[in-house]
Amino acid sequence: MSVSPRRLRAGALALATLAIISTTACTAGGSGGNASGGGATTLTVNTSFVLKTLDPGRVYEATGLTAVHALYDTLLTFEGSDVSKPVPALAESYEASADAKTFTFKLRSGVTFSDGSPLTADDVVFSLNRLKNIKGSPAVTVSELSVSKTDDSTVVVTSETANPNVPVVLSMPSTAVLNAKVARENGAKDGEDAAQGDNAQQYLDTNSIGSGPYVLKSYEPESQVVLEANPNYWGDKPQFERVVLRNMDVQTQKLTMQRAEAAEISLDISGKLLDGLPETLQTSGVQDTVYFLFLNADPTVSAVASNPKFNQALRAAIDYQGVAALYGQGAAPGAGLVAPAFPGTLPEGEASTRDVAKAKALLAEANLTNPTVKFNYPAITYKGVDLGTVATKVQGDVAEAGITLELNPQPLTTFLDEMRGGKVALGFTPQSLNYPVADSLINNMAPGQATALRSGWTVERADPAIVAAGEKVIETLDLAARATAMQEWQRLMNQSSPYVVLASNSSTVVATADLTGADYTAAGWQVDVAAVGRK
Amino acid sequence: MTMIAPDPVAPDPKVERALTRRRWLGRLRGGQTGRPIWRQPIAVAALVILGGWLLLALFAPLIAPYDPLAQSPEAYAPPSATHWFGTDSLGRDILSRVIHGARLSIPLALAIVSLALLVGGLLGLIAGYLGRFVDEALMRLTDLVFAFPQIILAMAVTAAFGPNTRNAVLALVIVSWPVYARVIRSAVLSMRGDDYLSAARLLGVGPVRALRRDVLPNSIGPAIVLATLELGNAVLLLAALSFLGLGPRPPAAEWGSMVALGSQDLSMWWVSVFPGLAILTVVMAFNVLGDALRDRLDPRYAKGR
Repeated sequence: MSVSPRRLRAGALALATLAIISTTACTAGGSGGNASGGGATTLTVNTSFVLKTLDPGRVYEATGLTAVHALYDTLLTFEGSDVSKPVPALAESYEASADAKTFTFKLRSGVTFSDGSPLTADDVVFSLNRLKNIKGSPAVTVSELSVSKTDDSTVVVTSETANPNVPVVLSMPSTAVLNAKVARENGAKDGEDAAQGDNAQQYLDTNSIGSGPYVLKSYEPESQVVLEANPNYWGDKPQFERVVLRNMDVQTQKLTMQRAEAAEISLDISGKLLDGLPETLQTSGVQDTVYFLFLNADPTVSAVASNPKFNQALRAAIDYQGVAALYGQGAAPGAGLVAPAFPGTLPEGEASTRDVAKAKALLAEANLTNPTVKFNYPAITYKGVDLGTVATKVQGDVAEAGITLELNPQPLTTFLDEMRGGKVALGFTPQSLNYPVADSLINNMAPGQATALRSGWTVERADPAIVAAGEKVIETLDLAARATAMQEWQRLMNQSSPYVVLASNSSTVVATADLTGADYTAAGWQVDVAAVGRK
Repeated sequence: MTMIAPDPVAPDPKVERALTRRRWLGRLRGGQTGRPIWRQPIAVAALVILGGWLLLALFAPLIAPYDPLAQSPEAYAPPSATHWFGTDSLGRDILSRVIHGARLSIPLALAIVSLALLVGGLLGLIAGYLGRFVDEALMRLTDLVFAFPQIILAMAVTAAFGPNTRNAVLALVIVSWPVYARVIRSAVLSMRGDDYLSAARLLGVGPVRALRRDVLPNSIGPAIVLATLELGNAVLLLAALSFLGLGPRPPAAEWGSMVALGSQDLSMWWVSVFPGLAILTVVMAFNVLGDALRDRLDPRYAKGR
């Protein structure tokens, strides 16, 4: 079969046309891609997802808190890394009664939800009642609070007991204000029986009905959550049109940040993992986690661990500086149970110090030769630190004083089960606070309280001075005086409590160089994505 | 059959001795296939490596430059003249830890293989000799164990009993006995109809005595070859369990857990590379030696030389 020259020419022409068209299409597609996906308006946040829900009444996990804080507003909030004092948000001002039981909030006017409807005191009352009554994980923070409105722009929150930290509680993402009308339409309840009747979680996981700077675009709890700027936002518009929270394990985050050029943040690279990152990246961290040993004060569990002299000797035998070095950047040797990020922490100079000779003398005084204790710890890496390495370091340190620790690494669930059982002679655990107030430490760790009892530390076995110091903290209503009382309590705790604080370290936000406002906060939401901008 | 055999009731002591030797060692003494082991360079190299590791294990406290558990402030020091293999996150000397690691890995591997050989061999003998229902039941049991991936089953066992050295060994014995049971059983089956066994039975020899005198010596050869090959596997499985935190308790210097420690930050390559090399050399040496033994003793697998 032959082909005529004319047909050949026509064919060539058609091919050429096709080629030109497709080239143009490619170019157009390429430049279009650059305009939208090139990072001009999208902020990418990489984090290893801990995410169960975006329902403010139920959110308790780190990733959920980051998103909810961007989707909803609270009465008060914290700015940047500072968690010492709440600042106005939905409430433009508030007044506290002298007995720290009644708090009156004056709402800002002109605030609208993302659907354009106005935010009123009714919405605040509905949201706080729902939080309290559906009894989700965060409800404990408001269990003693009740809320009412006096007019459309005034809300009164009362506490059953004196609690100067109510403003802090009302800055937490779980106290976010929802659009009550839309919430009710979708199954939300706020009555006393809401624990059974409320079925709005599914709706709230995929829709946001708040007044925050962003609205929820998509929710895929296994891979990513996409937020888009709220067109009806009442405050200053955030600089980024879109925020994408991406689920990524920490090693991949490190690799990603090593290559990232702009508009990218990682939330989980901390401790030793920070070593080797490019100098151009910026980091922001606050020491908000303490790591401590707990001894059992019950002689029937361990005659050795419950011996006060052994307790003292163990404290003196540990090389706190060396332990802190294992945590890498942003760590400090242990001082008190309150992490440096929070009010009431012990000043830097009061870190515990090592004295092996003293430890040996104490053991000799108590007639303890070669005391041996089983040492439980969870075999996990927490905030970039392998807890096994720290435990081995402690074991090596105290061996120099003549104390033998039998290392017993356990899967996390086994460790927690045994700890709750109260039969652990010596254990090691990290601790972070649920909200940035250290009072909860006294409610949990003072003699006779829930956590203390797991270590067999009853009021009878405790130094009466510690009990009194703890009570004094709770009774003090002035926040500055309370912080001072908290320090006193920790100093006494460091003498004879079953807790030996080893070190504190920080969580870290790692951000590309072009960003501003990528500050880590210990307030719970890790980073305020709406505050992140470009230089 | 009209062959003249020594009278089993009143044997000539000389013949008896020769027969015993032949039964137990005959298969190891050459005359089969291939070159002798000492004429195969690669097998000799394996023997030398294993010999070296045995010496290191025996004299570890004298050879190792530091205490394997002693911590120092020099964390993550790269290999140098003072620390040939560098130091780990707690400043412990990796060379000393690798040397002391041999004291755990090699004896434990031997223990695992001998126990598995003992258990598997015994069950294999019983299954093969008694046959029928017993055979059926025991072989289904081996099928059951074979159905699980070895490491997963071993993990489940250690996780259930709690992680420590004894339980790790126990777990590995539990997952590795069936191969020996199978091999010994098939050897027993292949000789079941043989005349000397029938003759022994006619003479009133009971099953226990027959197993011990006639069956075991004739079936042990392949099992020994298998055991040598499995030694490497045992070292590897033990290291794997230990890598997962299910082996000997820390701070014991165990190769698998040392590799795990180094894998947390691969930029400090020396922390995991050297214990990894230790595992590699021991496992390779056992495998090469096992291959050479098999070539020598089992004509079916001999390479065409």
